[in-house]
Amino acid sequence: MRAIEAGLLVCHECHQLNPADVDAKHQYCSRCGGQIHARRPNSLIRTWALLLTSAILYIPANLLPIMTVNSLGKGSPATIMGGVLELIHFGMLPIAAVVFIASILVPTFKLVGIALLLYSVQRHQPMSARQRILMYRFIEWIGRWSMLDIFVIAILVAVVNFGSLASIEAGAGAAAFASVVILTMLAALTFDPRLIWDNTETDHD
Amino acid sequence: MSDSPPDPSLSSLPIEQLVACHECDLLMRKPMLRDGESAECPRCGYELFSHRHHVVRRSLALVLTALLLYIPANFLPIMQLNLLGQTSQDTVWSGVIGLYESGMQGIAVVVFLSSMAVPLLKLLCQLLVLLSIRMDFGRSYGLLLYRVYHDMREWGMLEVYLMGILVAMVKLMDLADLSLGLGLFCFIALLLVQVWLEVTMSPHQIWEALSGEDVHAGD
Repeated sequence: MRAIEAGLLVCHECHQLNPADVDAKHQYCSRCGGQIHARRPNSLIRTWALLLTSAILYIPANLLPIMTVNSLGKGSPATIMGGVLELIHFGMLPIAAVVFIASILVPTFKLVGIALLLYSVQRHQPMSARQRILMYRFIEWIGRWSMLDIFVIAILVAVVNFGSLASIEAGAGAAAFASVVILTMLAALTFDPRLIWDNTETDHD
Repeated sequence: MSDSPPDPSLSSLPIEQLVACHECDLLMRKPMLRDGESAECPRCGYELFSHRHHVVRRSLALVLTALLLYIPANFLPIMQLNLLGQTSQDTVWSGVIGLYESGMQGIAVVVFLSSMAVPLLKLLCQLLVLLSIRMDFGRSYGLLLYRVYHDMREWGMLEVYLMGILVAMVKLMDLADLSLGLGLFCFIALLLVQVWLEVTMSPHQIWEALSGEDVHAGD
């Protein structure tokens, strides 16, 4: 049995059960005072909106240089993929793999994964509830790791600061990339996982 | 863990004896836990709650340790770089400043928030919540602050920053002479203490203590 069928609402913040008040427009948790909803309002539409915005920004994030390395008056811009290739070139395969996973694989997987979750909740297919919840948890957990490249740039800009000899500047691609990461994290937060279970008929319920 | 079959009388039980899974909305009888035990949702596997010894006392010790480590971790040099006789050093703070001055204010703010501001505010919220339980004072502010803490939790990214330090070091190793600073070790210590604290401070017990359901919580 679901809590919503028993007329009970779970607080988002402190997980306290509250009896649903049908007449109230806004209801607040009796324990922590946070606003409570049976399901997050407009969860699917908001998640779609955030997802589409980040999908658009995904293009400049990958095409524009995320940083420019200036050395002896010559500047060489580097994109995300360029940074990975450079690491491979130096023979740093494990680190190259980490950066590749965090900066390219994870954002792409998140965009596709959240779209798939939304589609399967709206169309009642094509994955089982268990597969969807595992995917949701994975997306929620891995999202933050994409900030890796942004932090690397912050460190490099600070430490490689030798005037005309050598310096590193952040590029416009970095701003787009940071936006993609933040927007996909927000999309994962806006998505209400309880929707996954709402339209599935499980025998053990 | 209660793995109860469908129970038609569930909705007639008083609300205090029930619990619903936060992630899948399954309604269950509230399991009784002893110290060191935890309960998971039988349907989706989400951890409903866990019960630990001396939560408040142990968490307070960890929060204070983390706060002491915070300043050296953020303001002592993480690494030093030597290039043709010139030296430069990097701290978490100088990374933020460097980005800001190179015209990337937006990213500087993001880095500042996720690596410095949010981790500090999280620790301060935790400290005040624990003090409010311990001293039995200002519980309503405690509830508010603990809600704020839960909203910020996702946005502190110390562990990602540490991985960033590692990647930056690998990239720089070939270019110049690199040496590690004391700040790096403080940063790693801060991260470990913070993870330990997150495991120790079980939210369910803190909420109950704040709302006065558990009178012995402050012991």
